[in-house]
Amino acid sequence: MKNTKNLLTVILVFIGLTACNDAIDIDQKGRLDAETAFESVDDLQAGLFGVYDQFDITPDIAFQSIFTDELSIGFDNGGQGLADYGFVLNAGTTAPETFWVNGYVQLNFANRLIEAAENLSAEKIAEDPDTYNQILGETYALRAWGHFILLSYYSTDYTDDNALSIINLDFVPTIDQQLLRNTNGETFALIESDLTKAAGLLNGDLGVKRINADFITALRARIAAYREDYVAAASLAEELIAKYPLASRLDYEDMFLQDSDGEVIFKLERTNNDNYDDQGQTGSPAAGGWAGSCFAFVDATITGSPYFEMGRSLFNLLDPADIRYTVNVAPSSLIDPDYETNQNPELDILVIQKYPGSEGQPLMNDLKVFRVSEMYLIQAEAAVAQGDLGLAASLLKEIRDARFGTDTPLPVLGTSTLAYAAILDERRVELCFEGHRYLDLKRLGTRANKAVSKDAVDCAFNGACSLPPDDYRFTLPLPSVEFNGNPGLREQQNPGY
Amino acid sequence: MRSGHNWILIPLMLVLSMNFSFAQEKLVSGLVIDQDAVPLPGVSVVVRGTMRGVQTDFDGNYSISVSEGEVLQFSFIGQKTLEITVGASFVINVTMEEDVEALEEVVVQGYRSATREKSSIASQTLTSQTIENRPNANVIQTLSGQVAGLEINTATGQPGASPTVRLRGINSINGNTSPLFIVDGTPVDENNFKSINPQDIASIDVLKDAGATAVYGNRGANGVVYIKTKQGAYNTPLQINYTGILSFNSLQKNDYNLMDSQQQLTLENERGAGRGATLTPAEIAATPTFDWADYFFRTGLTQNHNLSLSSGGERFSQFTSLGYFDQEGILRNSDLKRFSIRNNVGGTSANDRFRYGTNISINFSKSNDPNAIGTQAVNQNYIIGAYNSVPYITPDDYVDGASLLDPLVFANTPLFLIDRLRNFTLLREELKMIGSFNASYKIQPQLTANLTMSADYQNEFLTAARRPESFNALLFGGAENPTSGFQQQASTRQFSYNQVTSLNYENSWGDHSVDAGAYMEYFKAHFRQFGYTANGLDPKTFYPGDGSGLIPVRYDSDAEALLFVDTANAESLDAGLFSYFAQVDYDFARRFGFTGTIRRDASYRFSASNKWATFYSLAGRWNIHNEAFMEDLPFDQLKLRASYGKAGNQRIAGGGYFTAPDLTRNFYATGTGYGGFNSIFLSQIANTTLRWETVAQFDVGVDFEVFKRRLRGSVDYYKKETTDLFQSRPVSAINAVTSLNANIGSLTNQGFDFTASYQLIRSSEPEGFNLVLNAVGNFNETNVGDIPTENGQRGNPDGITGTRNGGILNEYFVIRYAGVNPANGNLLFLTADGEVTENPNADTDRVWLGKNLIPKWQGSFGFNMDYKGFFLTTQFNYVTGVDRMDFDLQTFQDPNNIGTFRTSRDLLRAWTPENRITDIPSYGASNRDAYTFVSDRYLREADYLRLRFLQVGYKFPQRYLEHTGISRLQIFGNAENLFTISKWRGFDAEAQTNTNLLYPTPRIFSVGFEIGF
Repeated sequence: MKNTKNLLTVILVFIGLTACNDAIDIDQKGRLDAETAFESVDDLQAGLFGVYDQFDITPDIAFQSIFTDELSIGFDNGGQGLADYGFVLNAGTTAPETFWVNGYVQLNFANRLIEAAENLSAEKIAEDPDTYNQILGETYALRAWGHFILLSYYSTDYTDDNALSIINLDFVPTIDQQLLRNTNGETFALIESDLTKAAGLLNGDLGVKRINADFITALRARIAAYREDYVAAASLAEELIAKYPLASRLDYEDMFLQDSDGEVIFKLERTNNDNYDDQGQTGSPAAGGWAGSCFAFVDATITGSPYFEMGRSLFNLLDPADIRYTVNVAPSSLIDPDYETNQNPELDILVIQKYPGSEGQPLMNDLKVFRVSEMYLIQAEAAVAQGDLGLAASLLKEIRDARFGTDTPLPVLGTSTLAYAAILDERRVELCFEGHRYLDLKRLGTRANKAVSKDAVDCAFNGACSLPPDDYRFTLPLPSVEFNGNPGLREQQNPGY
Repeated sequence: MRSGHNWILIPLMLVLSMNFSFAQEKLVSGLVIDQDAVPLPGVSVVVRGTMRGVQTDFDGNYSISVSEGEVLQFSFIGQKTLEITVGASFVINVTMEEDVEALEEVVVQGYRSATREKSSIASQTLTSQTIENRPNANVIQTLSGQVAGLEINTATGQPGASPTVRLRGINSINGNTSPLFIVDGTPVDENNFKSINPQDIASIDVLKDAGATAVYGNRGANGVVYIKTKQGAYNTPLQINYTGILSFNSLQKNDYNLMDSQQQLTLENERGAGRGATLTPAEIAATPTFDWADYFFRTGLTQNHNLSLSSGGERFSQFTSLGYFDQEGILRNSDLKRFSIRNNVGGTSANDRFRYGTNISINFSKSNDPNAIGTQAVNQNYIIGAYNSVPYITPDDYVDGASLLDPLVFANTPLFLIDRLRNFTLLREELKMIGSFNASYKIQPQLTANLTMSADYQNEFLTAARRPESFNALLFGGAENPTSGFQQQASTRQFSYNQVTSLNYENSWGDHSVDAGAYMEYFKAHFRQFGYTANGLDPKTFYPGDGSGLIPVRYDSDAEALLFVDTANAESLDAGLFSYFAQVDYDFARRFGFTGTIRRDASYRFSASNKWATFYSLAGRWNIHNEAFMEDLPFDQLKLRASYGKAGNQRIAGGGYFTAPDLTRNFYATGTGYGGFNSIFLSQIANTTLRWETVAQFDVGVDFEVFKRRLRGSVDYYKKETTDLFQSRPVSAINAVTSLNANIGSLTNQGFDFTASYQLIRSSEPEGFNLVLNAVGNFNETNVGDIPTENGQRGNPDGITGTRNGGILNEYFVIRYAGVNPANGNLLFLTADGEVTENPNADTDRVWLGKNLIPKWQGSFGFNMDYKGFFLTTQFNYVTGVDRMDFDLQTFQDPNNIGTFRTSRDLLRAWTPENRITDIPSYGASNRDAYTFVSDRYLREADYLRLRFLQVGYKFPQRYLEHTGISRLQIFGNAENLFTISKWRGFDAEAQTNTNLLYPTPRIFSVGFEIGF
C-alpha cells in the first residue's frame, strides 16, 4: 500500500518536473531565424536570387495583351479572361491588385536585402568586396525597376512631375505604416538615385540574365521616353544601339524559339523546376507561370488548346515575309483569307507562337525585358518629338530591313501624327505579347491618333471593340485590397474609379 | 472395442451427474411487478454465481429450478437489482423499485462523471441506439441533427469524408472551430473519424457550456464531444452479436432543368457555336440525348458487417468487435474499405481497490478519393463531366487519350474525364490505432489516484498516379517528360500521446457531499511526412503503388534538358501542451450544487510570447424538484443551471495540432530562387504578442422531466464572446503582404438550444403501441466586433463577403442585381443608393445584405413508434437562414458556355426584342460578364427541410426466439436523405459553401439485420 502511494507520488513529481518543458519549448526543425539568415556575402548572393525571383513580367504580358487588341477569343476558350477582354477594370478586378501587390513584394524584398547587406560586418564584406558591391548594385537596380513598373501602371501622366505617383519604398516598413502616394517627381528622383548607386557598384557583367550596366542604360532610356525627356532618351538609346546590333532573321527566330540571347539586353531567366515552372493563372492578369500559358493551356500549336488566339487586327499587320510573322504565328495555324465573310472561327485559328517553350517544357521561355529594337523605336520616337521625321523613318526602316532580310522601302511619315502612328504600329508588331501594348497606347495613342482597335470579328460577341487612349482605364485604379490596410489612400484613387 | 466403451461411458456419466444435481432442486415461480404494480416482462432472473437464468414472460411471470439457500438476482434496466435467498416457498413474488441513480444516465463531466441530477453542466447524451445501424462510414455524419446546437455540415459525398462540426456557432474566424473529440479518454484528431467503427460506440456526450469545457483549458473553447466505446459487463456470459447492413447509395435530384440534345444543338445552331452550328434540323432531331450524370455517378453499394463478443467474469470483463465496411461512393472511383478490430478490457483487484482498463482499436482503411473536386479543371474534376457535359456526346465517342488531343475541344470534357477515370489513381491507405490505459487505486476510501495514458497513431499512405498513355499525360507531357505520367507517394505519420494523472477525493457527511480532484495533463504530438514524385513511367510495367515502371532521370542532349526529373519531400513537426488543473464539486442535499474549475495551461505555440494561460469556470444548479413545495407537482425532475467561465483555443490558425507552430518568430527560408538557384527569402513576419483566443461563455438552462418522465427535455440560453480573435489585420501592401494575422477583434455567439421528447402514447401493454415525439433545435447568431480597419469593415478574399462591426459573420457584400432591362436585355443593378444602373461601381456600389452562409435555426424533429415488435423512426433535419451562391446555376445559364457545355432550359427565356419581360438577360448583354461574381445575381436561399433518416424494422419478440439459441433478432430497413424540401436548385442543399462543382452527398437506402446469441 505504502509502496504504491510512494510510487504514485514519485511518478507525479517526475512528470511535473521534467515533462513540462519538453512539451512546450519546442524548436521546429529546418527554421532559419532572421538574425542568422544573412551572415556572409554568399548568403547575400542567395538573398539576391530571392529578390530576382519576385520579378515576373507574365502579368504584364497577360494583361496588356488581353486588355488591348493583341488577342481574340480562342476556339478552345472555356471562359478565360472574358471580363478583361471586355475592358472590365475596377478597383476589385485582378490586374490592379496583381501589379500593386507584386510591385511592393519586389520592393520589400529588395529593401530587406539592402538592410541585411548594410548590417553585414566589415570583415565579412572584406572577404569578397567585389561580389558584395555587385549584389548591392543589382539590388538597387531592381528596386529602381520595381518602382518604375508600379509608376507606369498607376500614374496618370508620366510627364507631370507633380502628378500622383505611387508610394516610394526605399526602407523596410513596419506593419502599422500607412503611407500616401508620392509625386512622380519624387519617385523618379528615387529611381534615378538608385540607378546612380547601382551604376557605381556594379563591377561585373554576368550576362543578359543578370542586371548589368546596359540594363541601367536601357531602363533610363525607357523612363526618359515615358517622361518625354527625348534628349536623354535619344542619347541613351543610341548608346545601346551602338553596342547591340539588331538580330539577324535567324538570330531573331532563335531568340524566341530557342531562347538564345540574340539582341536581348536583359531578360528574366525561366528554367525547369524554378518557381515559375507551372501553368500559373490562365486567362488572368495574375498569370505567374509559363509565359505561353497566357494564351494556351498545353503548347503553342493548334492542338495545344489555345484559349486566346492572335487578334485579327494584329495579324493583319503581319507580313508573311517578315520574320516576326514566322515567330509569332504558329505554322499549325489555320488562316482563312475570307474570315470576314465566313465568320467561322473554326476556319480561322491564329495560334500565338512567341513562347513555344524551351528546355523540354512547352510554353516556358525566358522573359525578354529589354531588346535593342525597343531602343531604335525610342530613338525614333525622340526624333519625331524633336521634329526629325527623316531620322525616325530611317530608324523604322533599319528595323524592317533586319526583319525582312531585304531592303524595305523607306516609310513615308508625312506628319508627326503619322510618324507617331507608324512608330506605334511598329511597336505593336515588334513588341507584341511582350507587355508593352497597353502602356504604349496610353503614352502614344493620343499623339498617334490611335486607339485599341479590334477587328470586328473579334468583338462581335461582346461589342467591346475599341477603347480610346484617353479613357480613364489606361491608368489602373489603386486596388481595393490596399484600402483595407491603408484607408487614407482611398482619397487618392485615380480618376474614373 | 475398449475405446468404444470409453466413448459411451463419458456421456453416461454426465447424464448421471446432472440428474444427481437436479434431484436437489425445486421449481420456484412467481410474478415480478414494478412499484406501480405493473407486471414487468423481460426481467432477468439469475441464480447468483451461476450461468443459470431465465427471463420473465409478457405477464411478468417466471419459473426457475433452484436449490434452497441459493440466491436469485432480479435485474431490469431502470430498476434496482434485487437479491432474494430461496427458502422453503415455491412461490417468490417480487416488487421491484425504480433505481433513480441508474435511470438517470451517468453524465460525463470531462475528467469525471456524475448522475444527471448532480450534473451542473449543459450537455446532451446520445446512446448507441441512435448511432448504430446507420449507413455512414463516419460517425460524425450520423450525429447530424441529433444534438441541439451541434452543426454537422457535409460538403462532399466522398465515403468517410470529415464533415465540418461546430457547436453553438462559430467561435473563431481563422482558428479551429471544431469541438475537441475524445474517445475513451484519448484526444483524437477530428479529421480521421472515417477509421473509427460507429458500431463500437456506446455513447456520445456533447459538452456545451463553460462549466463543462473550461476543464479542457485551451482546447475546450469549441466544446467537447466525448465518445465512449462499448465495454463488457462483469458477471455476464458470452454474448455474440452480428449485424449486417447492405446499402444502396444514389444521387439526389436537382432542379436545373437541363437541356436535351435537341434543345442544346438547336441553341448552338442559333448561336453559331459548337457542334450544333453546322448541323441541319434533321441531324439535330436524330441525335440521342445522353445524361452524363448517369455515367459519372452510379448506385453505390455498401456492405457493413460487424461481429462483437462480450463477456465478463467476477473480476474481468471484455468487449471485442470486428468490423468490415465497404462503401462504393456514388461517384465512380470513390470508395472506402475499412477493417477494424477493437478490444476493450477491464478488471479489478480482489479487494476492489485497484481497477484498470484498456481500450485498443486498430483500423485499416483504403479509400479511393478523386481529387480536384470543386475546381474548374475540365480535365480533372469528374463533377464537371457529370453536370456540364453536352448531352449529344456519348461514352461511345471515347477511343483513347491520344485521340482526344486533336482536335482538342472543351466540349469533349466528358471524354477527358472518362480517360482520367481509367488512368488516374488516388488511393489513401490509412492505419489508425487508438489505445488507452487507465488505472485507479483507492488509497483511502475517499481518496483515489488515477492515471490515464493514451495514444492516437495514424499513418496515411497516399498513392497518386497518372498513367503515361492517358490524355492528361500526353497533353502536359512535353519533351521534358516524354513518356509522361507520374507517380506520387507520401507517407504521413502522426502520433499523439496524452497522459492525465490525478488525485480525487470524494466524501459526504450529512447533507453535504464533495467531489474534488487535482490533475496534471501532458500532451505531445509528432508529425512526420516524406514522399516523392517520380516523373516518367513505362506503361509496360507500371502499376500504381509499384516502382517497376519508374524511369530514371537522364540528360537529353537533343532537348538540352534533364528528362524525368523527380522530386522528394520531407517534413517533421512536433507539438505539445502541458497543464495542471483542479475541480471541486459540491452538493447539498441533492438540492443545490456547484462545480468550480481552474486550469493553468501552456501551449508550445506561444512559448515565446504568452506561454501560460489560466481558464476557469463556475457552474451552479438548483434541483427544484427536490424542494418541498414541488411535491404535489408532476415534476420528476426540474433543475435550473447556470454557468460562466472561460476556455481557450490554442489552434488559432486552424488546421491540426501542427499548424502555425512558431508564429512568434521572424523566419527566412531557403529554397529555389531565380534561375533555379538556391535562395534565401523572407518567409514569416513575427507576431511577438501572439496568444490563444479566449471564449467566455454564460449559460443558463433548465432540465425537466414531467408526467412520469413522459415529457423530458432541456432549454438553454447562452452567450459566448471570443476575444483576442486571431484574424487577418489588413496592412498596406508595402509589407509584401496585404494582411497579417493578429489577436484583435471579437466575436459573439448568442442563442438557445432546446431538446424535448414526449411520449405521446405509452402503452401499458407489453408490445403495445408506443409513440415518442422528439425535437431538438438551436438558434444562433454570430456577430463580429472590433474589426481592425479604420471604417470597421473588411472584405474577404472571396470578393463577395465581408464583415463589419456589429454585423453577422461573413456577410454578403455585393452589388444588388435588379433584373433584366426590358429595353435592351442588359443586366440591371442597384447603386449603393438604390438607383437602377447598368454600370454599377464594383467597389463603391457594394452593399451589406445581412445574409450569410451560416444557419440561424437548425435541428431536427421526428418520432419513434413501436408496436408488437415493429418499429418506425424518423428524423427530419431543418436548417434556415442559409444564403448561398449557386454558381452551378451560373454555369448552366452562362451563354459563354453554349457550344462547349450543357446549359439550362432557363436560357430559352432569354431576352429578345419579342420577349422583353424576363429574368434571363439577352445573349449579347454587354454588361453580362462584368458583375457576375460581384453581385447577388446567383445568391439563393438554401434553407431546407430534409427527411434525414427513416428506419422501419421488426424486432422478433422473445417468445419466438425461445429454444432457438438466438437471444435477439431484428431486421430493419432505413433511408437517409430520402427527400428534401428546399428552394435550392442544386444537387445537395446541405453543403454550406459557395464553391460549386462539388461531390454531393448521396441518398441512401439500407437493409440489415441483427442477430445475437
